[in-house]
Amino acid sequence: MKQAVILSAGEGQRLRPFTATRPKVMLSIAGKPILQYVVEALAQNGIRNLVMVIGYRRREILDYMGSGEQFGVDITYVTQEKQLGTAHALAQAKEVTEEEFLVLPGDNLIEADTIARFVMVKPEAVLVKRVDNPVRYGVVTIAKGMVKDIAEKPEEAKSNVVSTGTYAFTKRVFDFIEPELDIPDVLNSMIARGKLISAQETDGPWLDVAYPWDILSLNDAVLHRIQPNLGGIFETGVVVKGLVSVGKDTVVRSNSYIMGSVVIGNNCDIGPNVCILPATSVGDNVVISPFTDIKNSVIGSDVNIGPGCIIQDSVIDKGCVINGHFTACSGEADVKVDDEYHTVNMGAMLGGGCDLGNSVTAQPGVIVGNHSQVQALKLVSGRLPDRSLVV
Amino acid sequence: MCGIVGYIGDKSARSILLNCLRRLEYRGYDSCGIAVAGGSLEVYKDAVRVEELARVAPQLDGTAGIGHTRWATHGEPSPVNAHPHIDCSGKIAVVHNGVINNYQKLNRQLTAEGHSFVSETDTEVISHLIEKYYGGSLERAVEAALGEVDGSYAIIAVMAGDPELVVARKDSPLVIGVSDRENFIASDVPALLDYTNRVIYLEEGDIGVVTKDNIKIRRCGKEVVGQEHKVLWRVEDAQKGGYEHFMLKEIHEQPKVIRDTLGEYISAAEPEARLAMVTEADLEGMLIVACGTSYHAALAGKYILDEVVGIPVVVELAGEFAYFNQISAKTGAIVITQSGETADALKAMKRLKEVGCRVVAITNVVGSTASRLADQTVYTRAGPEISVAATKSFTVQLMVLYWLALSCSSVDIRRVDSLTMGLRQLPGKVQQVLDNEDKIKEYADYLSKCEDVFFIGRGINFPVALEGALKLKEISYIHAEGYAAGELKHGPFALLGANTPVVAIVAQDSAYEAMLTNIKEIKAKGSPLIALADEGDEVVKELADSVITVPRVDPIFSPVVNTVALQLLAYYTAKQRDCPIDFPRNLAKSVTVE
Repeated sequence: MKQAVILSAGEGQRLRPFTATRPKVMLSIAGKPILQYVVEALAQNGIRNLVMVIGYRRREILDYMGSGEQFGVDITYVTQEKQLGTAHALAQAKEVTEEEFLVLPGDNLIEADTIARFVMVKPEAVLVKRVDNPVRYGVVTIAKGMVKDIAEKPEEAKSNVVSTGTYAFTKRVFDFIEPELDIPDVLNSMIARGKLISAQETDGPWLDVAYPWDILSLNDAVLHRIQPNLGGIFETGVVVKGLVSVGKDTVVRSNSYIMGSVVIGNNCDIGPNVCILPATSVGDNVVISPFTDIKNSVIGSDVNIGPGCIIQDSVIDKGCVINGHFTACSGEADVKVDDEYHTVNMGAMLGGGCDLGNSVTAQPGVIVGNHSQVQALKLVSGRLPDRSLVV
Repeated sequence: MCGIVGYIGDKSARSILLNCLRRLEYRGYDSCGIAVAGGSLEVYKDAVRVEELARVAPQLDGTAGIGHTRWATHGEPSPVNAHPHIDCSGKIAVVHNGVINNYQKLNRQLTAEGHSFVSETDTEVISHLIEKYYGGSLERAVEAALGEVDGSYAIIAVMAGDPELVVARKDSPLVIGVSDRENFIASDVPALLDYTNRVIYLEEGDIGVVTKDNIKIRRCGKEVVGQEHKVLWRVEDAQKGGYEHFMLKEIHEQPKVIRDTLGEYISAAEPEARLAMVTEADLEGMLIVACGTSYHAALAGKYILDEVVGIPVVVELAGEFAYFNQISAKTGAIVITQSGETADALKAMKRLKEVGCRVVAITNVVGSTASRLADQTVYTRAGPEISVAATKSFTVQLMVLYWLALSCSSVDIRRVDSLTMGLRQLPGKVQQVLDNEDKIKEYADYLSKCEDVFFIGRGINFPVALEGALKLKEISYIHAEGYAAGELKHGPFALLGANTPVVAIVAQDSAYEAMLTNIKEIKAKGSPLIALADEGDEVVKELADSVITVPRVDPIFSPVVNTVALQLLAYYTAKQRDCPIDFPRNLAKSVTVE
């Protein structure tokens, strides 16, 4: 197997507001987009000929991945204008695929281990994994190592083995795509017509992000495996414990306390007297002012956080300006996404470019739309659309 | 303004030369040609673009050769006038970028001596001069030939049966790309990036002999070892990366290049270092010299330095600066040139140096002529800019000017802190403008049907009006004028009407009230009014016919977000009109003649 098709065209509507300006594959986890983890896993397994199917907000991908040279791979892009389904996405790559190829979702975080054996499998094959909550995924029924059928998000799961959305195909698969739109349906129709599809199980990491708060659990999982690296400048009295990575030109000022696992990007200005606790990721060009305390959170690039803030279990997207004494404490909340309520423990989810006045308090579970403005001393709760104005 | 390339090694020279030339088309593209030397010398050239030449050129055998993409200065674009130019024997070929001032005199002399000329170009005298002086060594012949020449040049010469390329430069750029068992030569680095990132910049007056294994450079008669630089640009930096045009790609790179510049200069890492840049205590004032888009950055710089540093600033067009005589040595001079090769800017630099001014160059090209003439160079970290219309280089020039202002020792540390905070927010704010692209497209649809457009601004946004108009006219061919808002009633009012829209740039600064008055005056004349204003500016929304909103920033930084919005406006207007956006007619990227 020498080639892989990465499906990267989807929006991920349930992940709004974070996917309003970027495709789902470009969500940043521990300082890198999910897509980059997939590309690196493939490169480490010697697969360097990549086809990326792009669509929604494709420029974000083009800007970041470029020709792929930076990541040691060679990328060919094909466009899926309308995101009709995974099989439809794959069909766009028909002209540029070789005789045999892998297909991977660009929005599931994997590592090299996950696909180490699968890259040598004989097509057609699907990579499966045992999970605790199979009803969220495509549940696979297997007999003698062969797939019998795939049931997408069944009411009741017959097993806890699910499809990871990673497949090994030959060019024959293109004969079965029409009229189906999704790959599991294509597999079922192949099986119905007598094709044999093997199932191979992996015990490597496979992490899916479906809801905004999933960003926190993925971040946590990945941070446990980072390479410690202390670039930048540390003033006297800074305490660093555990796995910590700090980028170049970042200054951590006196008496700040950083407890890993923590990733901090380039050119940030942190402290004095700032606490960054596990499991936190901070982007590039971020300012964190004195006496701020951040725990289990993801802070995007170009964010400016004022003095005396408490931020827990929260995601703050790129370019937010947060004045002093912002409070986003964690707590149990019922959060509505797609007319469904989910009970989760979380702080606040802030879309990009928000501007918060002094002493704003966020109720646990609040989701604030991109470019919203909140005046000083306000309490925000529930779900605010993009460009909200809270006065 | 032309681009020249050379290759010598083991591979077929034809395709390498053509590929390198393609990357230099931003320097000019009215005609092109290549010469490949094997046992004999074969030349193919035409008045077409490189892509077309690559399609029609025959398979020329040989592993050494030279190429040229032309921008006509002497003689119209034609197959005969295209480079390379050969001598009477057809054994020597030359490519040249620059201008030979005394070519007519040399042409008469050489004709009298029996040489026959076929083209109208100044360059052809060089090939005949080399033929005249050739006595066994191509290098000696080139040196002797250039001794007769008065003017500017970067040249590469090649001869049939002789496995070497001879290079020389004076007042025109030339770099050597170093590799294993092969070497490259080009006017500019992007041409080489597919093959190597190790380059040697030639100095003024250097003559070099390049073979596949060796590079010999003579400077002032003595052999020197050329210093190798490693270019940090990646190959994809010089490619379009999925965008339809380089211009759009470069517009979208702006949050990143701003962040890079912040990391380079405004990083909190070394607060002491940044304060050593300018000691303005002994200065009477500052002078900024530039051309084109860089001139608009310079004008904005005047407002920035005036406000932040409190020092009088004069801004001059580099081309006009030649006609002023009163220059004080106590003036701190800043010269801004993206390419570092702009002829007028270099000439101004030389004059300033003669007077004894301390000259700071702001340029995007490491090792460029400007950087070597200046006392101190501040590099903009924009990466290569291929689109003829400057976008990211302008933004980064502004960033450097903000930094220069903050570096002045007299600025209060509290002001430095608050401005630094504002600068750090700019990548995010610019990203917001880019995210608003679809809205801006709608206004572009409207503008694309207009024949004339006015751009107005006041204070620090006056240069933004000039830049907005320049962007629109250069790529969409719509007549556009940038005006200081107060000047409209001194003449241009006569041109306003229902078919002449006005784009008004409104910032929340001391000019705000006056701008509102101007907007009302324009509305009274019946001109459609598009305002560029802060989101949340309800007053302007009431007054204007339509509003392009930009995120709110400290007014001193408003030129950055406003210009990005106007770049997008110009881009989509030109796209709507199907213009060749990256290579507008009659324009070349950097202007190396006066």
